[in-house]
Amino acid sequence: MKKITISDPTLRDGSHAIKHQLTAEQVSRYCAAIDKAGVPIVEVGHGNGIGASSIQVGLSGESDIKLLEAARSTLKHAKLGVHCIPGFATIKKHIKPALDLGVDIVRCACHCTEADTTRNHITFVREQGKQAFGVLMMAHMAPVDILVEEAMKMESYGAEAVIIMDSAGAFLPNRIETIISRLCDTLNVHVGYHGHNNLGMGIGNSIVAAGAGATIIDGTARCFGAGAGNTQLEILVPVLEKLGYSTGIDFYKLLDAADLAEKELLQSAPRVKSISVVSGLSGVFSGFTKHVERISKEYDVDPRDVFFKLGERGIIAGQEDMIIEEAYALHQKKTGKPL
Amino acid sequence: MNPKQLEMIKEDCSRIFRDPDRFSALKNESVLITGGTGFMGSWLVEAIAYLNDQHGFGTKLTLVARDIDRFNQNQPHLASRSDISFIEKSVRDLIDIPGDVSWIIHAAGTPDNRAHSSNPLDVIDSIANGTMQVLDASTRLSNLKKIVNISSGWVYGAQPKEMPRVPESYISGPDSAVITSAYAEAKRMGETFCSVYKGQFRIPIVTLRPFAFIGPYQLIEKPWAINNFINDAINGGPINILGDESTIRSYMYPSDMVNWILTVLCEGESGLVLNLGSPEGCTLREVADMVCGCIPGETVVISQTLNRKPKHSVFVPDISKAQEKLGLELSVSLQDAIKKTIEWLKLG
Repeated sequence: MKKITISDPTLRDGSHAIKHQLTAEQVSRYCAAIDKAGVPIVEVGHGNGIGASSIQVGLSGESDIKLLEAARSTLKHAKLGVHCIPGFATIKKHIKPALDLGVDIVRCACHCTEADTTRNHITFVREQGKQAFGVLMMAHMAPVDILVEEAMKMESYGAEAVIIMDSAGAFLPNRIETIISRLCDTLNVHVGYHGHNNLGMGIGNSIVAAGAGATIIDGTARCFGAGAGNTQLEILVPVLEKLGYSTGIDFYKLLDAADLAEKELLQSAPRVKSISVVSGLSGVFSGFTKHVERISKEYDVDPRDVFFKLGERGIIAGQEDMIIEEAYALHQKKTGKPL
Repeated sequence: MNPKQLEMIKEDCSRIFRDPDRFSALKNESVLITGGTGFMGSWLVEAIAYLNDQHGFGTKLTLVARDIDRFNQNQPHLASRSDISFIEKSVRDLIDIPGDVSWIIHAAGTPDNRAHSSNPLDVIDSIANGTMQVLDASTRLSNLKKIVNISSGWVYGAQPKEMPRVPESYISGPDSAVITSAYAEAKRMGETFCSVYKGQFRIPIVTLRPFAFIGPYQLIEKPWAINNFINDAINGGPINILGDESTIRSYMYPSDMVNWILTVLCEGESGLVLNLGSPEGCTLREVADMVCGCIPGETVVISQTLNRKPKHSVFVPDISKAQEKLGLELSVSLQDAIKKTIEWLKLG
């Protein structure tokens, strides 16, 4: 039976949905439940990864260290993972303390064309004897040849897996099949997929990815995640099992963990709102949604127009200030005068 | 460095030089080594220092390297020797070679594939242009006796799976369409430069194509399979096999490597091209099990389950030409090489 490793970023990607206000108490409770279910990897921290707490992308309610300590002291079986974007996260200030605290896996992420930026971080993690994965974010923005090339770089730095991240929920199944197949043909390490639900493709794309050879699939409880939410974990697991894959996860306990997440973590369940569809179609990072809505209101412009303008410019995470620029330009066009 | 580690190196050198007369051409001569502070360079320096100390060779060494401070820090016992001098610069900037140099071992160029992927243009520049620079400077030497160009086994490109050992006569090449071929392509270009300088300037040059090595002085955190296995094992395991466990590799112990390089330097006929490595191919699973067996305790080997067709590669040299031409053989088995490497690392 083919094995799929499930990685659960509920306590990381979900952080976007509540403006990074997860508490250590919430982390402990969810970790206890998901650990019982046998989910092998649990990711914890700020939505943009360790070290990302900032005015630009959102200040965390609790420090990375407190959240990770809470997770580490609760998880008995699952590996503890962190998302790490070089630039936000530095080796000395963020990765080393995280590893010292007992983090097992560091997922070193970058925009899909910038694998070079992950070299030092991946190398450091491997030198410490821990697992390093490479993550290519906003993967819909690059052609398959570029993705393969960037993934090869990550493998050469020592990444033990390369994850294709559909940050904007923009992929359709045919492209996923092509990309994952090409990566599996080329790489010697695990290939993974992280989906978002903007176009309702979270589960569908994940299944296609598994069929094309991906061995690590991400999913979050009740879709808890940025924008329209992620691939829904408690649906993903039984569907994979039904298709003949083995995840090693206890279904009932997984459902219990998802119920707990709904009760303990979610202020409102992520759903595919109209603006999320626009985010997916325009290919803009799901995590921009709240910022776009707020700024569009402030400038009295249609957030859908802002999203499409941002999509035309190929804006990526870290360029949140461009939202203001586009909203301002639309406002000027609409009113014919500056604010 | 720990004195016990130094003792191990000296013991290895004593085994290489049971018959030091074979290397007598180097007596009272001046040798220049580019890449003199890397893994290969460090071993060559240890060996020549041993010849000087134990057999009174009086060989003078000049090392060309970019980072002499690191060498001073890591190998102070060598850095402080009066028979060794340094030129701190990239080979790309090497305008002049000291006039008394009569032997050159051109070993510059990092084999670290992390650098090959992240900075391929620099890799190409330093290998290809660096080789041309060394060759150019060597044309001005009045007493040049030989250059050994350290190329790479990767110049063959992907070794066919049905070919258990690749001979020097195999003509193929790296896939120029992928970025990770930069190192192999540059090494190939370096070989071409050598042929041109040999033909046009009558410079005596031999080329060695190294494969894989394991032993002291190799940085264990390098992202290569056997290094990872040893690193995992030393850290308490488990040993993780990344990729296809049926991938085949072979490993040469550095004392054999040094013996081969110096023999080729002294006896190799100009124009000779030889593989440098072990012909004993092992699967990654066999290598991991061997590492496991060398560590007391209950270290386990974990293989990845990748839901795809096996995709193993082979990287093993045919060494029959080296055996026939120069009588070169291997004296350290892979099992012993692993044991010695672990012992050396534990002493550090």
